[in-house]
Amino acid sequence: MSAADIVATSVRKVYHKDRIEIPVLDGLSLKIDAGEFVVLMGPSGSGKSTLLHLIGGLDSPTSGSIRVGEYNLERMTERELTAWRSRHVGFIFQMYHLVPVLTAAQNVELPLLLFKMSSAERRERVATALKVVGLADRTDHRPNQLSGGQEQRVAIARAIVTDPDVILADEPTGDLDAKTSEEILALLNLLNSEFNKTILMVTHDPRAASHGQRVVHLEKGVLEREERNPARPAMAAS
Amino acid sequence: MTIAYVMMQNLRRNRTRTALTIIAFALPMAIFVAAISLVVALIEINAISARELRLGVHHKTTLVNPLPEGTRRKIEALDPGGKRLTAVCGMRWFGGKIPNESGTIQSLAADADTFPRVYSDAELTPAEIEAWNRDRAAAVVGAGVAETYGSKYSGWKPGGRVVLKSTVPPYLELEFHIVKVMQAKGQANVFYFRRDYLTESFKTAGIDSPDCNIFWVKCNDAASLAALQREIDQTFANSPNETKSEDENTFRAGFTQALGNLPGLMRAMAIVVVVIIALVAGNTMMMSFRERTRELAVFKAIGFQSWRIFFVVLTESLLLALLGALIGIVPTTLFLLSFPIRRMGYLPISALTVSPWAVVISVVIALIVGFAAGLWPAYQALRLKTVDALRRVG
Repeated sequence: MSAADIVATSVRKVYHKDRIEIPVLDGLSLKIDAGEFVVLMGPSGSGKSTLLHLIGGLDSPTSGSIRVGEYNLERMTERELTAWRSRHVGFIFQMYHLVPVLTAAQNVELPLLLFKMSSAERRERVATALKVVGLADRTDHRPNQLSGGQEQRVAIARAIVTDPDVILADEPTGDLDAKTSEEILALLNLLNSEFNKTILMVTHDPRAASHGQRVVHLEKGVLEREERNPARPAMAAS
Repeated sequence: MTIAYVMMQNLRRNRTRTALTIIAFALPMAIFVAAISLVVALIEINAISARELRLGVHHKTTLVNPLPEGTRRKIEALDPGGKRLTAVCGMRWFGGKIPNESGTIQSLAADADTFPRVYSDAELTPAEIEAWNRDRAAAVVGAGVAETYGSKYSGWKPGGRVVLKSTVPPYLELEFHIVKVMQAKGQANVFYFRRDYLTESFKTAGIDSPDCNIFWVKCNDAASLAALQREIDQTFANSPNETKSEDENTFRAGFTQALGNLPGLMRAMAIVVVVIIALVAGNTMMMSFRERTRELAVFKAIGFQSWRIFFVVLTESLLLALLGALIGIVPTTLFLLSFPIRRMGYLPISALTVSPWAVVISVVIALIVGFAAGLWPAYQALRLKTVDALRRVG
């Protein structure tokens, strides 16, 4: 079990469309402690997902720096970033993005194909991850044989199977009903509290946001305000 | 689980489309391998013919116009010492068929004394030559003919007796005694018998017709063949029976071209087929890639390097091509080996056995097409920007 802190300093991200500059993040700075569960909120176009992608090394900032644990992402090549993601970051997406022709266990196993480990060890890790998300009895089911909530659980298992330092979740409950959303959020809480994972979650939903220890509000690419959740005090980093 | 397993599973994603794409590869490949086999067989037969150094001398107007029997003596007189030509064998078309059967057998009456020397590729043993010389009704048949009719009728083996009825006037029906079944590839569909037997049978029917349709001149070397070709035609120039001399390849090519330049058509068809399957496969791979853009982006997000995604997409295309090629080639090969096309009209082909080269060429072409079809989608996957593929407003 490991966790990493995240430090974004004066991050600026500008997109270009038809020679027009579109600033999405405008000198944003943010610090997230190791083992903290932070929620990013804000209206559409405020830069939430862009920040998530930058912290996940899927994109590079136009200026500024991002450090995750001991890694300064802005100094890494795309190849290095890809290799880093495979070991240190777990992604959870709104639409799950499971491979429909693979079973739940095989979907979870996918990131492990990048690791040198025996098939027995892979199977053990997959079984553990599926057990954590409560799907130990659904290993051989394909995505079309699972409910939306179960699919998202498989996606979470896929995100944690490599034991990453950071989990980045982009609207993980955006496509789920209220009851299933609560179950998924409880699972994220578990990963944070029991497994000490640093979690950064993007959401529009205030109820989902209430599961975080801290809620950061973005507005037009800048940090507008942030709130601590008294119901979920921050834990000490390991 | 391995990446290879994931690729194989991807092919099952849209089974109908995968099946149709594989069929789109398989059918042309089946035709392709058969076409190449035909071309290879013709090339092989032509090479054999060239080695035999035979010159065919027939009437300048058409093969149907007969040449007098004396033509042979005049040709032999061009090389009295026998330094340039081995022997001359006159032949007359019989066009026999088995009574009550529809197919005509390429049957020819040949000069008994010179046939074994001119047709050394018939590989008659001394005992068989002795039988040929002794028995006026002797016949030498190709393996293709013997096999085709041997499965239905008795007698189509050495020592057997068969009856053929001519399809040309006066429609003689003759009995023959088979002394040899020739295994030579270029002689598979031919039935030779003695011309003196035919001439005598004509006389019995009240017809005096010792003429020949063609004289085959066996030469000692290629230079002699070229020289004799000119000299023979010069000898008969401005006579009532002007000749046209051709080497065996050219003579046979005349029959092949009567079918419309078969090798050329085969090649053209092969090119069209390759282009069509490249377009079909390319379209399929592009559709498959578009459907999976976000999924491939997720692969990149969880740590798969771009080159690996490129490899996956390209290999899937190659797998499709290979599967299609195998499904097309293997049954075709088995079919041709199990049920050979024994008779190809007047083409000197006994059986369209699939040459290993035809298989290798077909598989290589399928892989090239698969590579070409998968290259662009794979490149798109390589260049895929993860954030763009995953982007939502936010």
